[in-house]
Amino acid sequence: MGKIKAMTQEWMDAYKAAIEADPEYKEIAKNWEGSVALIVNPDPDKGVPEPVYLFMDYWHGDVGEFVVCDKAKAESAKFVMTGDYARWKQVALKELDSTKALLQGKLKMKGDLPYVVRNIKVVNKVIDILGRVDTLWPDEA
Amino acid sequence: MTYDTDLSFNYYGPTKVIYGVDSSKDVEIEMGSIGGTRAVVVTDQGIIKAGLTDHIIKALGNKCVGVFSDVPQDTGVEVVDACADFARKGGADTVISIGGGSVIDTAKGVCILLTEGGSLRDYSGVQLLSRPQTPHIAIPTTAGTGSEVTNAAVIMDKEMGQKRLMVENYNIPRIGILDPKLTAKLPPLLTAGTGMDAMTHAVEAIHAIPHEPITDGLAMHAIRLLSRYLPVCVAKGDDLAARGQVQIAATMAGWAFSIAGVGNVHALAHSIGAVAHVPHGIANGILLAACMEFNLETCPESYALVAEAFGVREKGMDDMEAARAAIDAVKEFTKKIGHPQRLSEMNVTEDDIVKAADLSLGDGAIVNNPRVVLDASEVLEIYRKVL
Ligand SMILES: [Fe+2]
Repeated sequence: MGKIKAMTQEWMDAYKAAIEADPEYKEIAKNWEGSVALIVNPDPDKGVPEPVYLFMDYWHGDVGEFVVCDKAKAESAKFVMTGDYARWKQVALKELDSTKALLQGKLKMKGDLPYVVRNIKVVNKVIDILGRVDTLWPDEA
Repeated sequence: MTYDTDLSFNYYGPTKVIYGVDSSKDVEIEMGSIGGTRAVVVTDQGIIKAGLTDHIIKALGNKCVGVFSDVPQDTGVEVVDACADFARKGGADTVISIGGGSVIDTAKGVCILLTEGGSLRDYSGVQLLSRPQTPHIAIPTTAGTGSEVTNAAVIMDKEMGQKRLMVENYNIPRIGILDPKLTAKLPPLLTAGTGMDAMTHAVEAIHAIPHEPITDGLAMHAIRLLSRYLPVCVAKGDDLAARGQVQIAATMAGWAFSIAGVGNVHALAHSIGAVAHVPHGIANGILLAACMEFNLETCPESYALVAEAFGVREKGMDDMEAARAAIDAVKEFTKKIGHPQRLSEMNVTEDDIVKAADLSLGDGAIVNNPRVVLDASEVLEIYRKVL
């Protein structure tokens, strides 16, 4: 299979499948409840002309809806994380640690911080899995 | 200490710091320098009774549009909301805090609400803000929190039963005024406890995962100043030179941990504070050495720096030996300044530490601890050592 264009529905489907295929994910995420939205700020020079809204539903080790969505749906998620395209790409490529990025203000997070801290292993796991999706980034297309 | 070749960090410490005996009298001039015309003063009853606000309010003259003095020892979401209402009614464009950490953190919350509106409950998250907030001049009356220069505030949320950590680079005070006279009347126990908060910020900034050379430098000099001058302040409170050095150390440690973060000591101190109301500085002071022991195998090179700053690293010691000397130095230091040694002295019970151990795992500070904390039983063991 060739590279999949980042931040498309096809890419979200591949990401969901990669999480479902991970042997450890179910156990690590067994207590996680709630949806996560990623908002990617536009960066026309890098091939992202409009903001992108991604919605992902995680529930006790299962993964539900994984969709490219509109602003309203993204903002309805339990956790909403916002950042520039270049920052998200760094996170996906594991060049930037998500916790460090949050504390430095490179990413913003709306939601219950203690909950995320308690479940930081889940966060690290899904980022780790994202790195396995063979991605074509818009600024490399 | 060596740093990784892929070291990367953002150092951001934008606060203008004014230091000097009687420097708090310059508050009106400093407010003008940042374009402020109408200030709300945030403080507490104890500070007013101690006579620490009169000269500042007088210096502000008719530019002071009101004094909010209902801040408790541990501020809460509802206090911030009430204070913001009060400030809005007065038409304030600047917030001036005069007090300890609770007062300064209240003022930080107020700055957000004056700019963004709503209730503090609407701001659950990290680095949510996208623009500079209402200007804040912080005038600390304790030497410990460093809150005058940090991006962090800790505010109790009774509904959640947990202290909420707010981290916002857009909400760092514009100006911090350090006037040694304002800390000269602090009694010995409060001096020791708040001083140990500063000491803990310094040690934790060194062991925290994001530490870097700038923060290490700030933290090490903070330890040097505290180890020399905090005992003087405890013994002779009106020594303004010593008081001033301890204030400066607290500010330097604040800059250090604002960038590097804190770790398990603060996670455990916040939690036992939320459960059993142990004052923040005292909780840190009691827990510091035990938390260092927990991390010892993971980061001896960090504690070797602490030993150097304390002046206890002897020639020929390797990092591990120096790290052990640092832990002993911390223990000795707390005894020297008459600091409480056990949580039971603060009426903490076994039940309390069980609850606090669980809360600690959700504290924002725990993610920066050098040794990964896997479950509550590990935290409970640390608490038990100092119960
Ligand atoms: Fe602290």
